[in-house]
Amino acid sequence: MASYAEPRRTGTGLPNIATGDVQLPAVRDYEQVDNEITSTMSPTAGWFMALGAAILCMLIGASAWVYQIYWGLGQAGYAPPLMWGVYIITFVFWVGIGHAGTLISAILFLFRAGFRTTIYRVSEAMTVFAVMTAGLFPIIHIGRPWKFYWLIPYPNWRLIWPNFKSPLVWDVFAISTYLTISTTFLYVGLIPDIAVLRDRETNPVRKRIFSVLSLGWRNSDREWRHFARAYLFLAAFSTPLVLSVHSVVSFDFAMALTPGWHATIFPPYFVAGAIFSGFAMVWTIVIPIRKWFNLKHYVTLNQLDATAKVVLFVSLVVGCAYLTEFFIAWYSGNRAEQEYFYNRVFGQWWWSAWILLCCNMIMPLSLFSQKLRRNTTWLFILSLFINLGMWYERFVIVVPSLTHEFEPWQWGNYLPSWVDMCFLVGSFGWFFMWFLLFVKQLPVFALAEIKEIIPPRLKEAHSHGDHIDVTGHHQAFEPDTPGEFA
Amino acid sequence: MQGVIGAFRELDSAVHAVDELKKSRIGDVTVYTPTPRHEFEDVLHAPTSPVRKFTLVGGTLGVTFGYWISIWTSEYWPLVTGGKAFASWIPYTIIGFEVFVLVGALSTVFGMFYVSRIPRLTLTVGYDPRFSHGDFGVWVECPPDKLRSAEEVMRRHGAVEVRGER
Repeated sequence: MASYAEPRRTGTGLPNIATGDVQLPAVRDYEQVDNEITSTMSPTAGWFMALGAAILCMLIGASAWVYQIYWGLGQAGYAPPLMWGVYIITFVFWVGIGHAGTLISAILFLFRAGFRTTIYRVSEAMTVFAVMTAGLFPIIHIGRPWKFYWLIPYPNWRLIWPNFKSPLVWDVFAISTYLTISTTFLYVGLIPDIAVLRDRETNPVRKRIFSVLSLGWRNSDREWRHFARAYLFLAAFSTPLVLSVHSVVSFDFAMALTPGWHATIFPPYFVAGAIFSGFAMVWTIVIPIRKWFNLKHYVTLNQLDATAKVVLFVSLVVGCAYLTEFFIAWYSGNRAEQEYFYNRVFGQWWWSAWILLCCNMIMPLSLFSQKLRRNTTWLFILSLFINLGMWYERFVIVVPSLTHEFEPWQWGNYLPSWVDMCFLVGSFGWFFMWFLLFVKQLPVFALAEIKEIIPPRLKEAHSHGDHIDVTGHHQAFEPDTPGEFA
Repeated sequence: MQGVIGAFRELDSAVHAVDELKKSRIGDVTVYTPTPRHEFEDVLHAPTSPVRKFTLVGGTLGVTFGYWISIWTSEYWPLVTGGKAFASWIPYTIIGFEVFVLVGALSTVFGMFYVSRIPRLTLTVGYDPRFSHGDFGVWVECPPDKLRSAEEVMRRHGAVEVRGER
C-alpha cells in the first residue's frame, strides 16, 4: 500500500519519474475510482467553514466596490503619475494563475506527460475561476463599471469602432477568448464524468440536473471516438492560446516607452512567470485536497515530484529573465533605464524587489533536492511564497516604473489604500468561493481519464508476466499512454 | 430498433465478443465503455472522426473574420497617423489569431456534438448505468432471426448478462 510513496528505481539508482508517475498501484479497479473520487462531493463541516470564510472575504471586496462606486475612483490610492496600482497588479496576477491550468491540461496533454492525469481537472477549474477573477479588475478599474460593454468591439457610439491597434483592445480579445475556451475545455472534459454522476445519483432533482449537463452521454465507442478527436484539437488550439494570452497582457506594458516596461523580453518573461505562479497555485490547492480527502494514492509523490521539476525549471527561466533585464539596462547605456533599475533594487522600492527575488529565484532552488521535492509540507509552504513573490513581481513592474519615469519632477510615491487591500482580499474570496462550490458539485479529479491508467479487469491470464496489476490479474493488453483519448 | 445487449465484467471478454460479432456480420455493433480503449478501436475498425473538418472550416472562417473586421473598421473610420497606411496587418494578426482560436475551437465542439448526436434527451435502447461505472456493454442491432446467434456469441465469451431489447 505504501509503494506509491516511493520513487521507482532504474538501473542507475535514480528515480524513474517518467514511468513511475503514470502508475497508481494503490488503485485496483474502475469502481474504486468512482467511489473514492465522488466521495469528495459530500459536504463536511470544514468545507462549510472554508466556504463561509471565502464568502466573507468576497463580501469585503464587494463592499469596497460599492464604496468606490459611491465616492469615485480616487479612493483607490491613485496619485499622479501613478494611475495603475493594485487593480492592474492583481489582474495580471490572476491571469498568470490561470495559465498553469491550460498548460497542464493542453500542453502536457500534447506532450503525453503522464503526471498531468490526476491534477488536470483541478488545474482547469482553477484556470476558469482565476480568469473570472482577473476579468473583474479591468471593470473595477474603469471606475464606471456599468459602461464595461464599451470595451466590446462593436460600433458603440456614433459608429465608432474600437482601435484594433491598441494593446488594451487586444487584451479584451485575448482574455475573453481565453475564458471562453478554458470554460469549454473544462466542460467538454467533464461530460463523461457528469454521466457517471447521473448514473450513480439517486436524488431525482440532482439526477435530472446531471442528465441535462451530461447531454445524454452514453459512453459509446462512437462518442469516445469523436470526443477524443475534439479534445485533441481543443488542446491544439489552447496551446498557442495560453502562450499568446500572457504575451498580449505583457504588451499592455511593453508597448509603452516607460523605463522598465519597453522590453522585447516581456512576452516570454510573462509567460514563464505565469506558468510559475500557476503551478504554485496548483500546489496550494491540490496538496490540501489530497490530504483532506485522503486521495494521496491518486496525486502521488511521483507526480508532485514531476511538477516540482517543472517549477524549478521555470523558476530558473524567470530568474534568468530578471537578470537579463538588469544586464540590458546596464548594457543599453540608457540613463533612465539604468537609474530605474538601480532605484528598483537599492532605492525607493528595494524591499519589494528583494521579496520577489527571494521568493521567485532563491527559495525555489531548494527544489534541486529530491527530498524537498517529495516533501508536501515544504511544497505547500513554497507555493505560498511563490504566490507572494509573483504578486510582488507585478507590483515591481507596475509601481516602480510609473513612479520613476524620465523626468525627476514626475517621480512620486504610492501607498495602496484600504479599498485596494479590500479588493485584493475580495479577489481571493471570490476565487476560492467558486472553487469550493466546484469541489462539492463535480468530480475534482477526472474519472474517465484516471480509469485509462488503471489496468482493466481481465478474464484470461497471459504469458508475459511483467504486466500484472494489484489485483493479481495479468494484463492482456499493454497499458495505454494516459490521456491519449481524454 | 431491435437487438441484444450484453454486459461484460472483463475487457478481454468484451473485445473477443465484439471481434466475433463483427466477423460474423450479425448486425451493427455499438460498444459502451467507461473509458476509451484501443482494443475496441482495433476490432471495430471505425473510420476517422470527421470532427477535423468542422475545425478546419471554423478556424478558417474565424481568422478571415478577425482580419476582415479590423481592416474594414480601419478603412471605415480612418485615423491618419504619420502618413502611414490605415490598416496595419501586424497588430491585426493578434485579432485574427484570437478569433481563429475562438471560432475554431467552438466549431470543433459543435462538430463533436453534431457527429456524436448529442445533446440527447433520452438515453438510447440498451444503455445501462453500469457502463459508465465499470462494466463494458455490447449492443448488437440485428434482425429477429439473428438475435439468437448474437446472444449465443456473447454468452460464449463470458457476458454476465444478455438480454433482448426493442
